[in-house]
Amino acid sequence: MESIKSSDVFKKFSGIATSLKNSEIENWKKQGGKVIGYFCPVIPEEVFIAGGILPFRMRGTGSTTTDSADVYLKQVNCGFPRHTFNQALIGEYDFLDGLVVNTCCDTIMRLAVDWEHAGIKTPFIYSLDNAHAGGEAMVGHFRNQLQKMKDAVEKYFNVEITEQKLQDAIKLCNETKLLQQKLYELRKLPNPPITGSETVAVMVAGSSMPKEQYNKDLKTLLDELGNVNTDKKYSARLMIIGCGHDDTLLCDIIEELGAVVVTDQTCFGSRVMIKTISEEGDDPLMSIAGYQVLDVPYCPKTIGTHPERKQFTMGLAKDYKVDGAVGQCFISCDPWAAELYLLKSEFQEAGIPFIWFEREYIPDLIGQLKTRVEAFIETINN
Amino acid sequence: MNTEIKVEEVDIYKELKTEFGGLGANSFQGKMQDYVKSGTPIVACTDDFFPELFEAMDLPFYFVVRQGLESAFHAGRGPEAVDGYDEFNGASTLCSLQKASAYLLVKDLLPKPAAIVMTSTSCDAQTAVNELMSNYGPWAEVPRISVDASFEKDEASMEYLGKQWIQTIPFLEKATGKKFDLGKFKEVCEESNKQTQLLFDFQELRRAVPSPIRAEWGFIAYMGCRWSACGRQEGTEWMQRLYDATAQRVKEKKGIDGVTEKIRYTWFDILPCWSDKLFPRLEQEFGAVNLMDLYGYCAPWPSIDTSSLESIFTSMAKRFLIGNPMTRQIFALSTVYGGDAVNIAKNFKCDAVIMPGHVGHKDGAASHKIVKDMFRELGIPFFVIGCDVFDERYMDPEVVYQKISAFFETSGLT
Amino acid sequence: MKSGIKSEVYDKLAGIAGNVSNSEIENWQKQGGKIVGYFCPFIPEEIIIAGGFLPYKIRGTGSSDTSEADEFFDTKNCSFVRHCFNHALLGKFDFLDAMIVGTGCDHTRRIYDNWQVAPLKTKLVYLLDHPRTMGTEGMEETIITYYRAQLAKMKEYLENNFGVEITVPKLRKTIKLCNETRLLQKKLYELRKVENPPITAAEMASVLMAGASMPKEQYNEDLKTLLNDLSSVQGIKKDYQARLMIIGPAIEDPVFYSLFEENGGEIVIDDTCFGARYSMKSFIDEEAEDPLHAIAKYNVSDVPFCPKINGSHKNRIEFIDKMMKEYKVDGIIGQGYVACDPWGSSFGMLSAHMKDAGIPYLRLEREYISTETGQLSTRIQAFIETIGGRK
Repeated sequence: MESIKSSDVFKKFSGIATSLKNSEIENWKKQGGKVIGYFCPVIPEEVFIAGGILPFRMRGTGSTTTDSADVYLKQVNCGFPRHTFNQALIGEYDFLDGLVVNTCCDTIMRLAVDWEHAGIKTPFIYSLDNAHAGGEAMVGHFRNQLQKMKDAVEKYFNVEITEQKLQDAIKLCNETKLLQQKLYELRKLPNPPITGSETVAVMVAGSSMPKEQYNKDLKTLLDELGNVNTDKKYSARLMIIGCGHDDTLLCDIIEELGAVVVTDQTCFGSRVMIKTISEEGDDPLMSIAGYQVLDVPYCPKTIGTHPERKQFTMGLAKDYKVDGAVGQCFISCDPWAAELYLLKSEFQEAGIPFIWFEREYIPDLIGQLKTRVEAFIETINN
Repeated sequence: MNTEIKVEEVDIYKELKTEFGGLGANSFQGKMQDYVKSGTPIVACTDDFFPELFEAMDLPFYFVVRQGLESAFHAGRGPEAVDGYDEFNGASTLCSLQKASAYLLVKDLLPKPAAIVMTSTSCDAQTAVNELMSNYGPWAEVPRISVDASFEKDEASMEYLGKQWIQTIPFLEKATGKKFDLGKFKEVCEESNKQTQLLFDFQELRRAVPSPIRAEWGFIAYMGCRWSACGRQEGTEWMQRLYDATAQRVKEKKGIDGVTEKIRYTWFDILPCWSDKLFPRLEQEFGAVNLMDLYGYCAPWPSIDTSSLESIFTSMAKRFLIGNPMTRQIFALSTVYGGDAVNIAKNFKCDAVIMPGHVGHKDGAASHKIVKDMFRELGIPFFVIGCDVFDERYMDPEVVYQKISAFFETSGLT
Repeated sequence: MKSGIKSEVYDKLAGIAGNVSNSEIENWQKQGGKIVGYFCPFIPEEIIIAGGFLPYKIRGTGSSDTSEADEFFDTKNCSFVRHCFNHALLGKFDFLDAMIVGTGCDHTRRIYDNWQVAPLKTKLVYLLDHPRTMGTEGMEETIITYYRAQLAKMKEYLENNFGVEITVPKLRKTIKLCNETRLLQKKLYELRKVENPPITAAEMASVLMAGASMPKEQYNEDLKTLLNDLSSVQGIKKDYQARLMIIGPAIEDPVFYSLFEENGGEIVIDDTCFGARYSMKSFIDEEAEDPLHAIAKYNVSDVPFCPKINGSHKNRIEFIDKMMKEYKVDGIIGQGYVACDPWGSSFGMLSAHMKDAGIPYLRLEREYISTETGQLSTRIQAFIETIGGRK
């Protein structure tokens, strides 16, 4: 086939990625299931799944305004939490039974209080303190925080999250990671059978529906990708680095210009699946904590972790044979702005063209963005 | 410390600009309205003819295409003229400058000439306007001469062009009543030679790091010496002063005031009419200095050989074919345009080369790959914009800025 | 509105026109013959044939895409040039032993630059410079002499690269041969003066295109046969509303012609590069002492080929006025390719002339290969209906 877009599974994933409440969630709730929203991949889905709860990664998909959110937040706050919060304020997140916020970034951190204050119908709201520096010493600390969160979930939702259930959940989520890794492997091909935009849809769907069904669907999709015509010529292979990436905006701009996005260093993309959690040992919470602190490259919010992130990002650039890197940073995200600033000179030293810009999470006008991306691709090709 | 000298240094360019205005006011073009009023015979010609002959015959003339620039675009009426042209259902993709000139022509806004001198020239757009001029009803009775400038650049071709141009003498004498004097003509040519040498030397000053002046001065110098005061002593003196002031800056290693030069580039085409919306920003935000535009670049510009009438015209022809800005690059193989840009990049130590890719240049559009490949080999960052250097409505200067800014960033220049 | 030509020779010529290569070319090559490609009409076939070559006018027949060419050219460049170059890049002109490009318009002349750097099998490419003016009073001979000198250089290029000799007697012979082509094509055109022309514009275009894609001797024989065949044809039924004349560059897309026929218009005459401009204006002097000079004069003074040439407008208007009368033309179509400044400007002047003379005139700007014909068809329909309404 010409493109994976004609696949029913892909259409399903795409529908899920471009909406908030989807039919999988509706069914889940109809059967009495509970849903917990969470903001950041540092918050382990495994814990919720082990409690029989469906985890849903929060995003501002479909938002057209921040008027309601701006009563609580300001224009200096990042658009991502503002839009997401706005969606909640207008009832789009009424399907949530719980919300876990972490000490992710300054704005998201505050959302737990605002959420409650605004009277949004989310009965369970929890703030998780995650590590802010890398290193072995943090693992134990984070494990303790996870323990507290697990206890709170158990108490509120009246469930038991046993070690066995945690192990099972880890196994299930590892299967997801492995399947997603296989997906990314396909993008190493000279003519990838899946575009960057299409990959975003697949990845975002993964954190918006029950994992068992997702894994089944993803297996089907991987099979179908074997039949996709890989003759298409692209003008450049690019990678995206930066904030979020729960929407296809930047990929669409790039790919409409004839280039292709082959990998990314973002928290909806590579960072959620690059490694699996250890299934060994008898303390699954420790395994999860170890994975989060030591194995997964951190977000720039975490101090002292730039070297590991640089290594990871450069590694991706080389493995996927990228012609250039495009960095995106939501306006007012200081950690990412600083990170991209550093990465830029490092990439340039390594001879890999690098451009980055700030953008609104949901921008009104994309003309300028398009112009700059177009100029970037042209310059690379020169 | 003698502060008086400092003030003088900054003011000298202001003075020079004022003087340039004076040259213009004193030129045939500047006095055009007087000639029209007094019924003095005027010659309309394509801007590829050499003013030396008109100067020597004291024959007021104007360049048709220049009207599009000065009477339309510089007078803030460019869009009006371009849109007005489009109502004639003519060539929709015609260069906007030519559209403006054509509009002025058919709206009877150009002084009616006593003679028309047309030299076939660089591009399709100019050809289109030439043909329009040839068939413009109110000018049907105006005597005209149509000269072919060949694509070939060999000796035979220069003689071919020179031979045709010599015919303009009896033609003009008959059409205007003015008399040609070889002695006077030689004098004018020799004065013009001095100006040409100065133009070339002036160009060379911009090899200095930092560049002592902005690219616009290259164009101003060209206009002063070729359009306003060609072969006139006042022109030579003005150019000498411009050269001296700039040479002094080079000596003192002075860059452009208020700019810390970090990126040296060439905008290798005509400077845009909307320059003020782009270049100052690039200077301030990136320390990016435009060293050279197309009109500031005097490629091998041979001097006029004044030994005989024939030698004058043959050497004029040589200068036209291989030296005249735009004709040299546009009406030649792609490797010439690219080659000139490469020379500038190398000799003037450019960090980047920007080809505006003016939308009216169809031949340029078909050259980009060849030129890109030349720069890829050279390893100097190169970018084509695709804007309209006259009509900013085609591509907003903001978009041009964004493209250049992204280009600089991607190339590791910022 | 098919004319009902039942003619084997017509089918053969239509087949040749409908493809890039053909069996005549293949046979020619089998016999060791060389083929020289060219683009513009002022590049004289006469000289090429005199060297023993088969001249082949490159075209974009069957091209649907310009993506290969767009690496070398820009989308701002003429689609005619781009489709032809695209074909070249796809190897469709690999049968050429040499290519001659002329300094026609800005787009065309860059075929030469890009041909030199493109990965093409045909390595030999030559740029022939054509004057840009017919010359004003007293200067005509200078211009002709210049072009004669360029033709001599081109002749030498062919002679040196292929070890042939292009002599004066040979040139005289080929001028005669090509004049015969012109005469025969003229006779074909004249058949369309009647109310029921025996051949449609689209069919005519096929016949003309074939002529530039096969050996002239055979073509002339085929034309004679065709003229014979056509004498027994019924003719197009007079159910068309308007007799039209089309002006412009080479028009090679049969889909475009069909838009007129579908909308009740019949193009009966034209002024296009390889159409009536080639055969209806003048002949090359067969008796001239200096055949090269005669060819140069023909291309500079007698038949200015393109609005690129200063002084050509008057010549064009005269021809149009003359043909309108002879062919009882009801309306004029000016058709140019997008990005063509010379034709675009010419049409602006033509429009004024038509308005003054009260002649219905429609200006069309399109791409060389018509993909979206809806708008064109609508405009053509409205034009023809307007004319029909006035009759």
